[in-house]
Amino acid sequence: MTIFQNMNITSSALTANRLRMDVVSSNMANAETTRGTYVNGEWQPYKRKMVVIQSDRSPSFSSLLHSEINKNQNNGVKVTDIVEDNTPFNLVYNPTHPDANDQGYVQMPNVDPLKEMTDLISATRSYEANVTVFNTNKSILTKALEIGK
Amino acid sequence: MSLFSTTFQTIENGISYASQKQQTIAQNIANVDTPNYKSKTVSRTSEFRDLLHNELEAYQTDSKHIPFSDSSQRVITQQGNTSYQANGNNVDMDKEMADMAENQIYYEALVDRLNGKFNSLQTVIRGGK
Repeated sequence: MTIFQNMNITSSALTANRLRMDVVSSNMANAETTRGTYVNGEWQPYKRKMVVIQSDRSPSFSSLLHSEINKNQNNGVKVTDIVEDNTPFNLVYNPTHPDANDQGYVQMPNVDPLKEMTDLISATRSYEANVTVFNTNKSILTKALEIGK
Repeated sequence: MSLFSTTFQTIENGISYASQKQQTIAQNIANVDTPNYKSKTVSRTSEFRDLLHNELEAYQTDSKHIPFSDSSQRVITQQGNTSYQANGNNVDMDKEMADMAENQIYYEALVDRLNGKFNSLQTVIRGGK
């Protein structure tokens, strides 16, 4: 067990949660983007993005061996993928819009601001919890330096 | 009578337990949003391993061989069959935070005691001057 293992675990979670917040920002910013991707000569609206979070277990021999003998389980978190939400786009009637189809409907992104705000708050709270853990780690390490003083 | 009584060893053992527990809590809180993650706890003493250590010795022909057990090892157990969230995660954030606060105080108390031991040793070495 190394001294800064705790901090590595906590900072991996801080990074992951910051990325979650970034993805929420991206979704909110593109909530009205009707030209997100260009597919087969046609513009598709922006698709809502989501992060996939996994427990990080590095596949190196030593980490596997240590986790097998229960000594040093190095499980931070890792964002392994950012996936697109494939729920159908919202159809809005707006014939004057440049991307309206023949019937006058526009495909708007499948971003739900309510959902995004919930995700944002959830990510913020997790981030704050990890900051607390980080500070505790720091004070424990500082206390350890006082041994023998 | 030895100069360094077993208190040092006891305290050292406690400190090592506290830091391992801190790491486990950090891990649990880091994984609070990970689907299917199950929270982990450190067992305070590992009687099973102590027993194993007393009863069974691994025959080591090389210093690099892994021993059957050493007393510094603790068992980390996974809390299996419960779920706190729909995604199969069972980290109880309130419990982890409370445990962490408790662990911090425990750690600081141990360090304080260790310093107390050192101070009294120093007093003895200085001959009470």
